[in-house]
Amino acid sequence: MTRDELHQQILTILVRDFEFKDPGLDDNLRDDHGFDSIDAIELLGKIELMLGFPLTREEKERAMEIRTISDILDYLEAIQQGRSA
Amino acid sequence: MPRRVVITACSAITPIGYGKQAVVESLRQGRSGVRPLRDDGLLTGRIHSQVFGTVDYPIDFAFSRTHRKTMGPVAFYACQVASDVLTASGLAQDFITSGRLGVAFGSTHGSPTVQRDIYKTFFRDLDDKFSSIGAVDYLRSMVHTTAVNITRMFGITGRVIASSTACTTSSQAIGFGYEMIKYGMQDAMLCGGADEYDTTTVAVFDNLLACSVGYNATPERTPRPFDKRRDGLVVGEGGGAVLLEEYESARRRGAPILAEVIGFACNNNGGDLILPNLDGISATLRLALADAAIAPEAVEFVSAHATATKMGDIIESQAIAAVYGDRPHVSGLKSYTGHCMGACGVIELAMILWMMEEGFLAPTLNLDEVDPRCAMLRHTPGVIAAQTGIAAVQNFAFGGVNTCLLVKNGRGVV
Repeated sequence: MTRDELHQQILTILVRDFEFKDPGLDDNLRDDHGFDSIDAIELLGKIELMLGFPLTREEKERAMEIRTISDILDYLEAIQQGRSA
Repeated sequence: MPRRVVITACSAITPIGYGKQAVVESLRQGRSGVRPLRDDGLLTGRIHSQVFGTVDYPIDFAFSRTHRKTMGPVAFYACQVASDVLTASGLAQDFITSGRLGVAFGSTHGSPTVQRDIYKTFFRDLDDKFSSIGAVDYLRSMVHTTAVNITRMFGITGRVIASSTACTTSSQAIGFGYEMIKYGMQDAMLCGGADEYDTTTVAVFDNLLACSVGYNATPERTPRPFDKRRDGLVVGEGGGAVLLEEYESARRRGAPILAEVIGFACNNNGGDLILPNLDGISATLRLALADAAIAPEAVEFVSAHATATKMGDIIESQAIAAVYGDRPHVSGLKSYTGHCMGACGVIELAMILWMMEEGFLAPTLNLDEVDPRCAMLRHTPGVIAAQTGIAAVQNFAFGGVNTCLLVKNGRGVV
């Protein structure tokens, strides 16, 4: 998936399942949208379904560094590139 | 020096209504909350009993996603009634978060609805590449989910007691909360219990031949505590909460005093986990009287556990007769709601508090012909005007756990 496609899908998930209001690329997930570590685990499950393959333990632990939607997109692109390499 | 403990707020979601006005009206009108069992697509077709004490009206749960995400249906009930009592109490926010307020709240086994979803995930034919157990499923289903969703929602930092003893869950919660305040461990306790709509509980009692099966076509005619034609209990759902406070501080802040908790007892039969036990139950009632330092003659109303099982009602009648004689009025309030399991004690206490406030007593519903083996009691003869001074709430659970709470009408608390 392209970055734009990933962006659209992630926005859909964040608005539909996490009730984000007007999400911005550089919003702080926790401070601006109340997104916490439990939500992060929940989101990873949805990302696995979106990508069509399961994430490794190490990949999931790396996701705990994510702070913004831009970070999510960077993370997803890195995952995709790692799998295609 | 033991401290006095008073009830300053109360709320309940029950099969016969939500809150005082609806519940009082149902009690006065003799309205049952028992309905046909819903088809759950799993167990309903295999259960003989096809009735359930159902909360079938909409409730406007206004919880944010941040709070909802860790809540199963049982926690919705719990947090709603907790919110009601905290709002009604007028307690200051700095007190609520001070550590001097604790929570004693339980359910029979957390959220069976969420647990069922977890099992479905395990057992259905899924592509096993993915772990589709939700990150919050444990938090939503765990046995102490009600208590800690309450602490989370309201920022309560005091003690947490999450009783989980089936039918004595919420009466234990209230009793243990009372003891926390009485002996100075906390200054206030938010106490209660909840249980959600759940067919597995029906299946358990159905399998033990303890459920009502003869009134499937006329649900409102069962359960029938103390009645000659009773044929078992009816499982129900709901939640209730009371706020307990230390008497002097409640007085100082001008809190309305609905009642004083003057005694509590909890014991175990020390043997069989299912059969009712006359010695164990009688001992509980006497222990509560001793805790309250009152004579049996002081008790004017007994809310019997009275599930409408064949033996349970007879043994309880014998215990009431042995301890109180035939002086207090006796009602089995589950006749209106069904057996709301972990919530039954607090719901029955709420009914008593509201009947005390309104000056009446409601009879056992469906008590058309008293079983001669239960006839030695003074059954409440109908909706009667009564200024009840002291009342007992009796609950007994599988596992041989017995509880008795004694409360004194707030009008008489000085």
